[in-house]
Amino acid sequence: MKKKIYPFYLVAFLALGLLTSCEDVIDLKTETGPAQLVVDGWITDQAGPQAIRLTLSAAYFNNSPATPVTGAEVTVTDDAGTTFPFRYITEKKIYQWTPPQDSVKLARIGRTYTLTIRYEGEEYIAINQIKRVPTIDSLAYKNEKFPIKPPEGPQEGYVAEFYARDFLGIGDTYWIKPLKGGKLNGTEAGAISLAFDGAFSPGSPSDGLIFIQPLRQSITTNGLFSAGDTAGVELHSITPETFYFLLQVRQESANGGIFAVPPANIPTNIQNLNPNGKKALGFFGTSAVSRAETVIDPRKAKPKS
Amino acid sequence: MKNILRVLGLGLLLWVQGTYAHAQEKYTVSGYVKDVANGEGLIGVSVYVREASTGVVTNPYGFYSITLPEGEYALVFSYIGYEKLTSQLVLNADQRLNVEMAAESRQLQEVVVSTKKEDDNVRSLEMSVNKIDIKTIRKIPALLGEVDIIRSIQLLPGVTTVGEGASGFNVRGGDVSQNLILLDEAPVYNSSHLFGFFSVFNPDAVKDVKLIKGGIPAQYGGRISSILDVRMKEGNTKKREINGGIGTIFSRLTYEQPFAQSRGSFIVAARRSYIDVLAKPFLKGDLKKSRFSFYDLTAKVNYRLDDKNTFYASGYFGRDVFGSADFGFGWGNGTATARWNHIFSNKLFLNLTAYYSNYDYSIESDRKKKEVKDKFTWNSTIISSSLKPDFTYYLTPNNQVSFGGQYINYNTRPGNAVAISNGESRNISLDSRYGDESALYVANEQKVSERVSLQYGIRYSFYRNLGPGQVYAYQEIQKGERQYPVLPGTAVPKGETIKHYGNWEPRFSLNIGLSSTASLKASYNRTAQYLHLLSNTAASSPLDVWTLSTHLIKPEIADQVALGWFQNFRDNSYEASVEVYYKDLQNQIDYVRNSDLLLNRYVEGDLLFGRGRAYGAEFFLRKNKGRLTGWLSYTLARTERLVEGVNNDTWFPARFDKPHNFTAVGLFDLNNRLTLSSNFTMASGTPATFPTNRFEYNGWALPYNVYNARNNNRIPAYHRLDLAATLKSKRKLFKSGEGEWVFSVYNAYNRRNPYSIYVQQNEDNPLTTEAVRFSVIGSIIPAVTYNFKF
Repeated sequence: MKKKIYPFYLVAFLALGLLTSCEDVIDLKTETGPAQLVVDGWITDQAGPQAIRLTLSAAYFNNSPATPVTGAEVTVTDDAGTTFPFRYITEKKIYQWTPPQDSVKLARIGRTYTLTIRYEGEEYIAINQIKRVPTIDSLAYKNEKFPIKPPEGPQEGYVAEFYARDFLGIGDTYWIKPLKGGKLNGTEAGAISLAFDGAFSPGSPSDGLIFIQPLRQSITTNGLFSAGDTAGVELHSITPETFYFLLQVRQESANGGIFAVPPANIPTNIQNLNPNGKKALGFFGTSAVSRAETVIDPRKAKPKS
Repeated sequence: MKNILRVLGLGLLLWVQGTYAHAQEKYTVSGYVKDVANGEGLIGVSVYVREASTGVVTNPYGFYSITLPEGEYALVFSYIGYEKLTSQLVLNADQRLNVEMAAESRQLQEVVVSTKKEDDNVRSLEMSVNKIDIKTIRKIPALLGEVDIIRSIQLLPGVTTVGEGASGFNVRGGDVSQNLILLDEAPVYNSSHLFGFFSVFNPDAVKDVKLIKGGIPAQYGGRISSILDVRMKEGNTKKREINGGIGTIFSRLTYEQPFAQSRGSFIVAARRSYIDVLAKPFLKGDLKKSRFSFYDLTAKVNYRLDDKNTFYASGYFGRDVFGSADFGFGWGNGTATARWNHIFSNKLFLNLTAYYSNYDYSIESDRKKKEVKDKFTWNSTIISSSLKPDFTYYLTPNNQVSFGGQYINYNTRPGNAVAISNGESRNISLDSRYGDESALYVANEQKVSERVSLQYGIRYSFYRNLGPGQVYAYQEIQKGERQYPVLPGTAVPKGETIKHYGNWEPRFSLNIGLSSTASLKASYNRTAQYLHLLSNTAASSPLDVWTLSTHLIKPEIADQVALGWFQNFRDNSYEASVEVYYKDLQNQIDYVRNSDLLLNRYVEGDLLFGRGRAYGAEFFLRKNKGRLTGWLSYTLARTERLVEGVNNDTWFPARFDKPHNFTAVGLFDLNNRLTLSSNFTMASGTPATFPTNRFEYNGWALPYNVYNARNNNRIPAYHRLDLAATLKSKRKLFKSGEGEWVFSVYNAYNRRNPYSIYVQQNEDNPLTTEAVRFSVIGSIIPAVTYNFKF
């Protein structure tokens, strides 16, 4: 079962469980539409190479790998007038900007970046900005024992959380990525952890707060940590447009059950300069990153509240 | 204001006409019709005068009045399931005639040869109305053996549901929030326990259930699709009675008793689920503190002061409570109704109702400690209180005038929430919103000739959205997308009107008798709704917020025309009807993608408004007499919406559109002790939206529909068979009591009916796509219930 944010759903599933609800994977025939250019691009303020992947969309149930798009001209330009060319790397099937040294950064906080793609006579652009990101103040963890063995992870272990404070001013948005053993953990689309200011929702902003507990603890995903594990977090600052894009990705990836909402298309920020030209899918994301990690040491665990 | 005066003028005109009529040599006979066994007033009893070939029906309090020229008459009182009663009278002065009718015993039912037919179905002006006797509801096989009013209603023509576990019901293409659910005249905002599995009405305390789908009389307003009028029992005025039962989910207990020499009586009924109690010994540690229960308490008292004044007070309180040791989630309704029945004269009847109704929910992340570093609390409430006088003026046998009004005050707190993070707190509550709704109506039911009768009326409703409140204008960036508020908005002070709306709501019904057993009926009505349930989920959830009309959220308006043919045959053993209807809906609410409907101060920016249309044909055949009773119902219907920015600006089927809907209900009295029952339901699957393409992003295979379509597919058909047997115990309970066992099987042939089909990424490989069939009930569900009465 996918992790949901509102505990409400948990209760709903509990209740439904009593009435023998079930989910079966079935065969489904659906219509297929024409293939489109897909932009899978994300640049950060971190040093080193930056990559953009171009593919074609396919029939929904076609589970072979996406066809890579070659022969496109890909550049990123910042608002200071610098152009960063991205070249196709055949082995990786991606377009990559390679800095002269690995310590050189492409993106800087506060700057706006324009992605330009020329492909099959069409010119696509996407604009995004690198927003400010708070530093991670600390990581903490406490002992937890579940009454029953959970489907993932140990029954007894540690819940880790990170402490960081949202900036003052309404409209800072973040993507919280959990780390375990130095690698991204819990990368399922249905588990994307997003913050609007210090809490979840743009309609009721909790501005300038330390991220609320469910967000802080969202780095503990797919089971508890054990002693000796390295827990961590990458906090990405994103624009509200990116926030809504990711929100929709999450929605469309875990949209079942009796409280499902009508499916809607995931938005894109890729525009064809010719309004009558072919449309593209995907998103050009940008973020600044704060990162922190810690090794779980039982002696340093916070007392269980 | 001018409009209100006009309505009053019309009322006055009819009054004056009435006074003229009085000048002739006519007298009035009036009174109450009650059940001889328990003193309950009987609703809808037909009172027929053979000599004058005319008749009336009793009102919701069991009152009737009929005015006739001086003479000798036989009044025939008939009511389905009761022995016919004839009363001779010499009418030379106004008189009161109270009667008590006895329920038919089965033996009588078989030998009775009616001389006069129970042809109310054909004769009455009502169309698009379904009544189910509570005795019938009790026999219909039920989920987990729990007798349920809302689920029984879903077996009627024109009524559907999006699926098992979905709260509420859909009537003739309307959504669940467009039904006015009245419990003793007070609206119930959420009719469900446990999301949508059980309804809030305790069947032991319910007397009468009536669903009005069309031809809605002028006295009702406020919702556009239907009226579900549930009347509670008054309490036995003859003797003390205790009813109860132990079911799979609920345990029930009802107590009724007369007082003051049978001038008054009361009833108290309670139900509680007890899974949590049974589970407790098996739970360990913190789980022991988990809470999982729902309960309701229903009470009513009535007192007859004298021949002219009767008082009623009734209340309902129900709650669902879920949670763990620290987390808590609860919701529930509360209603209180006070009523005064007053007979001014033999011809003028008044019912004055005052009610209070509220619905609220609350969520708390940490119930245990007062002082915590991290906490989230959230609650939402809607409170309405109302005063409602309804007059019935029995002008002449051929004209029955009703007039009255209603005032409702609304106070809504869409969301009070506080987030505490690491000791710092933020109050993210939304402002309370206020409004009021007033209405005046006048209507006349007129027999034009022996064959033709009419009901015509008008209701004027007037709504105000009141301050204090912050009002925002919204900027549209793209059609169908989120609109953003222009800040800082305008503050409207307390008591000032932010926006008002007024609507004339004409109501009209016609009955043309084709023969003594057949009639043709037609109706038109306009209804307006000022209160909206914002819900974008497949099934409405307990968290959905009732929202008042504002300067941007316009009242929902429905116009419905219906035409029906009604025929009874085999001595009224069978009732048949065919009805067709067409409905036009205005200002229907839809939502932008990723709409944020909870705790959103700019929620109006997430709403879209569109049109709706619904049309269909309903075929209904019902057998009322004999050992085998029940009905067959088939509905062919569509309901569609048109919303700018959705489905490429073209019509799309609504979430609950089900073109075909067939139900069969059969109840068979095998002998005096054993009743067998079954129901079968078959319906089209609900619409669904499937993607056409996939695209890869960040290691995920994501869905995309290149046609940008909504509800362009349909899930497979739904069908289900339920069975039940009710066996009366041979042994007397405590000497005089009765006991019965109810055995039921839900989903008898174990079908996994899909509730929805959706697509997702495979859990182990997010680049693999798959389709999932979700069934709420995936197996056969047997249950046993024991009921007792003494």
